[in-house]
Amino acid sequence: MERRTIIIDPVTRIEGHSKITLHLNEDGQVEDARFHVTQFRGFEKFCEGRPYTEMPSLMARICGICPVSHLIASAKACDELLAVRIPPVAEQLRRIFGLAQVVQSHALSLFHLSSPDLLLGMDADPAKSNLFGVLEKHPQLARDGIRLRQFGQQIIERLGGKRIHPAWVVPGGVSEPLSQDNRDAILKGIPEALAIAERTLEWFKYTIEGFREEIKTFGNFPTLFMAIVKPDGGLTFYDGKVRIGDASGKLVAPGLEPSRYFEYIGEKVESWSYLKSTYYKPQGYPHGIYRVGPLARLNVADRCGTPKADQELAEFHELQRTAVLSSFHYHHARLVEILYCVERLEQLLTHADILSKHVRAEARPNTMEGIGACEAPRGTLFHHYKIDEQGLIRWANLVIATGHNNLAMNRSILQVAKHFVHGNRLTHGMLNRVEAVIRTYDPCLSCSTHALGEMALQIQLLAPNGEVLDEAVRP
Amino acid sequence: MARVLIIACGNPLRCDDGAAWHAAEALRRTLPSGQAEILCFHQFTPELAEAASHADAVIFLDAAAKGTPGQVVCEPVGSEATDSHFSHHLTPATVIALARQLYGASPQAFVVSLCGECFDHGEELSAVVVAALPEFVRTVNQLVSQMSTNPSPGTP
Repeated sequence: MERRTIIIDPVTRIEGHSKITLHLNEDGQVEDARFHVTQFRGFEKFCEGRPYTEMPSLMARICGICPVSHLIASAKACDELLAVRIPPVAEQLRRIFGLAQVVQSHALSLFHLSSPDLLLGMDADPAKSNLFGVLEKHPQLARDGIRLRQFGQQIIERLGGKRIHPAWVVPGGVSEPLSQDNRDAILKGIPEALAIAERTLEWFKYTIEGFREEIKTFGNFPTLFMAIVKPDGGLTFYDGKVRIGDASGKLVAPGLEPSRYFEYIGEKVESWSYLKSTYYKPQGYPHGIYRVGPLARLNVADRCGTPKADQELAEFHELQRTAVLSSFHYHHARLVEILYCVERLEQLLTHADILSKHVRAEARPNTMEGIGACEAPRGTLFHHYKIDEQGLIRWANLVIATGHNNLAMNRSILQVAKHFVHGNRLTHGMLNRVEAVIRTYDPCLSCSTHALGEMALQIQLLAPNGEVLDEAVRP
Repeated sequence: MARVLIIACGNPLRCDDGAAWHAAEALRRTLPSGQAEILCFHQFTPELAEAASHADAVIFLDAAAKGTPGQVVCEPVGSEATDSHFSHHLTPATVIALARQLYGASPQAFVVSLCGECFDHGEELSAVVVAALPEFVRTVNQLVSQMSTNPSPGTP
């Protein structure tokens, strides 16, 4: 048998455009696998020369799913440029904004993108592996997904004025305080959102019993895990120290400064993808592989800080004595985080000062460099800007969650492909599992492909037998 | 009076792709208060199924990439879903099919499209789309008037 390459293009039910290549050896066994991100954005480059005040709004345009995370990280970087301490209520309002986005983004990932696999199975007819297939089999689940997304989106709309690309988060705080009407309307939706989160968790815990083989083979290998945690080790999406834990569950870095990210995180460009691969510098490339996002956050967090989510976290930690290693459990972690977010929203919205009108600190730039970090739905997000004397952006670097997970996604594909794909018998179910492992990470490729002009490019023209007929390389 | 929902879709930062948003603005100014609810989105998403389920008639406004630039087309929306693999963006037919299957609603639905010429980065509409915008708005206005009085009109 001759060597063959199987191409899955495009990968479906993810955010953005990508393809996967599986390289088979002469025996039809998978020898290598790669996740190619084929779209290209360029935000770091084209924001050069723009006033720093535009950055939050510009950066929100990176993504239609998680614009709020970019707004928050960008505004925090600008807070540093201003060298201001923002009003406490502004910080709480930003937290509410971020939590609402996590709810809607996680709901999209779980209910709309991954629930067909979970409910109908990995071998289901591809024509039915969609929301219609879900609503046929479990209409309540389909309706719950829609309601939960609406809950998150409506909070964003109430605070930011619109659902997508709101510009309410600004350097120094937020542009408008929370009105009592909006506070009350959001609080009214909490009981239903909580009920949906709880019943979906119960459904999920029952459902995963049918996925033991996938749990064993979906990115089930040792890596580091990284997330921002509160000073007490609690789960957070807004502020804290970067914590890195290993596969055994031990902390290798308990409290790194987010503003020194470049000292411990390296970025590597591979010729076959527009998505950069990050790694933990002390362990080098590619050994410094780590994961971020829901699985990593729950692995490194000691507690959630809300009653129901803390119970679920304790149960989650019991899945494995070490860190929870299988990427299949990203789904589970996502649901625990939804529960946490809804509970935390209620805590924040019922705080005595939340309707305070003092929501913005005014200042001019006082430093020339600022770094903002937060936890986006998919993981740790860094925005790093340098400005000139006129306040214009001279340089920007964005380190995005999906990039942090790039090495792990590639290794996960290889693990799944080796287990499920055999060249002499290809089935939809096998190939769907290769895609499904990518979906566990919920990659947002629109966010993560932002470099322009400095990307090494390699274009190969291949004959059907794999022979390279022509090649163009930009080093 | 029939409840009419207008859903405008597009990206106003991609020139003519924002034509529906411009039309929605004009409709907000010209339609009598309470005659129709108007929403603007970048994409048609599953969440719109619930909003559609509360309406007697739904009019989707969108920019078309195929056709003659400046051409306005009004078509009824089919009753069958047209997406098999979707993530978070749907066709109008799928939104209506979801409204039916999830909420048991069957609103009348039309797509009114305006064919664009330029979908590059920018907030300006091309000259041909600017010239066609009044016809785009007029078509929607006529449809709203018909639907308000008779929720099952033919294509105008």
